[in-house]
Amino acid sequence: MSEIAEKVKNIIVEKLGVDASEVTPEASFTNDLGADSLDTVELIMEFEKEFNVSIPDEDAEKISTVGEAIAYIEKQLAS
Amino acid sequence: MAYNLLKGKRGIITGALDENSIAWKVAVRAKEEGATFTLTNAPVALRMGKIKELAEQCNTEVIPADATSVEDLENLYKRSMELLGGKIDFVLHSIGMSPNVRKGREYGDLNYDWFMKTLDISAMSFHKMLQVAEKLDALNEGASVVALSYIAAQRTFPDYSDMAQAKAMLESIARSYGERYGRLKKVRVNTISQSPTRTTAGTGISGFDVFYDYAEMMSPLGNATADDCADMCIVMFSDLTRKVTMQNIFHDGGFSSMGISPQVVEKLSK
Repeated sequence: MSEIAEKVKNIIVEKLGVDASEVTPEASFTNDLGADSLDTVELIMEFEKEFNVSIPDEDAEKISTVGEAIAYIEKQLAS
Repeated sequence: MAYNLLKGKRGIITGALDENSIAWKVAVRAKEEGATFTLTNAPVALRMGKIKELAEQCNTEVIPADATSVEDLENLYKRSMELLGGKIDFVLHSIGMSPNVRKGREYGDLNYDWFMKTLDISAMSFHKMLQVAEKLDALNEGASVVALSYIAAQRTFPDYSDMAQAKAMLESIARSYGERYGRLKKVRVNTISQSPTRTTAGTGISGFDVFYDYAEMMSPLGNATADDCADMCIVMFSDLTRKVTMQNIFHDGGFSSMGISPQVVEKLSK
């Protein structure tokens, strides 16, 4: 697992209070990890802070799984 | 209908997320009644909700503040006084959050860090708002401070979980600080115990619809809506209630005084 993926996973475990084993790439924040509307915004803001990137709302809306979040951040940091 | 009840008054309104928020309705009504005010919410709520729309509509500014941070609250009062051109006459505390409720934790399996967070955000923040105001001498004589509460502070509603303790603490702070601030500056401090209301926060409680329907059936006047609550807040901010302090005022269509209603009897007789 990449360093970014590891960090993303840790943030999710911490913020959502879920077990690390549940945080698979396919896991949906709302359907599988129990995130409510406030959690999803908090996660996005946490990612922005941790990785020093900006995630506009229109992009944030498209991020619904752990894998999508990792891919988005990796792409942002690569560009 | 507007009565100019808040003409010339300056206020701070916390907790407006979207148009369903009680605080949103209070802001709209306060403007109609002639007040000027600033809006504030936590940074995450600013991003999640539509408070900027409300600020435009009310021709005012949003000052981000984490209500658990004394430093943020100091900035909130200072900026508000600067923007509004003087000391503050009314404050609405409409702030509450419980991670245990949001995550559906059983009352016998609470996470204690989260419990502390619930109390800090939902109740201690009220003390902080009052203490910061006093230290900065930010409130005018006779100012009115109102926090929104719920009857789970007195009676048990299992799904309300640790928020019941938070509301009990909130109401207690209103009495303790109400005494102090009344003596010092004739500032009034009250809580309004509102019917269950369909807001983003309210509907986040599991079983909310049952709370709502039950209260509706038990209240002779029916549930008080967010608009009704806004009217009540305006009255509390106005000079018409200058001797009302240290009270928890039930604004619930009569729910709090009921034992059983004919509607409930009928329902259970079937």
